[in-house]
Amino acid sequence: MPGTSERIEERTRLRGEPPPASAALLVRGGPDSAEKLRRHAERTARAWALDGKPLFGISVFAVLDVPLDDLLRRRFTSFRVIYLPTADRLVRHEFELLPTGQRPHFTIRLQRADDSEVERLLTALGAAQPNPQYARSVVWREEG
Amino acid sequence: MYRVDINADLNDEDETGYVWTFLDEAREPGQIKPGAIIVAGDEDAAAVCEVIDLTPASDGTIVHLRLLPGLVEDYQALVERALAS
Repeated sequence: MPGTSERIEERTRLRGEPPPASAALLVRGGPDSAEKLRRHAERTARAWALDGKPLFGISVFAVLDVPLDDLLRRRFTSFRVIYLPTADRLVRHEFELLPTGQRPHFTIRLQRADDSEVERLLTALGAAQPNPQYARSVVWREEG
Repeated sequence: MYRVDINADLNDEDETGYVWTFLDEAREPGQIKPGAIIVAGDEDAAAVCEVIDLTPASDGTIVHLRLLPGLVEDYQALVERALAS
């Protein structure tokens, strides 16, 4: 469980921008499981608070300023699979998106990260799909 | 399947733009120093990273990591190529 020492308050650090448009794609590198999501959410809550309470959260990136393939090539080449829910899909599953870190990073906020909420988040993320930019980076590989 | 030096969610970034995790998630925390090249992530998704800094926070120490290009396997091939006799 998250510790009890003082966490970094996120509220004053949120970017002043509206949430992504409903149709905006969100990217998360996978694969995820309920146990992984819980562990990641608890790590976030160990470090961060929102309005003085532990912030359980999961990181995603929104496709906002650059095409999807550019974002994948820039940030996700080590992930074999990715999740690509829309912002609207997350909202319909009752999750809030917080504009944290540097654009286009967002945090999906969970309330408790208990079993039912983590399973709901897995459902909201949708099916994992192959990452078309997996292993597309600049380290020289010999062919054959 | 990877055996990482430090567990991290490689999706995580903070306002620095770097991946972050906690120092006590390392197998050998004493090896996690600025400039060190390590493998971070989990058993399914891992990457070679440079340790940028260590920052006291909350009830632990946050480690910032810069993702290096390529797969872990690429670095193995690179070293084998360089050391081939």
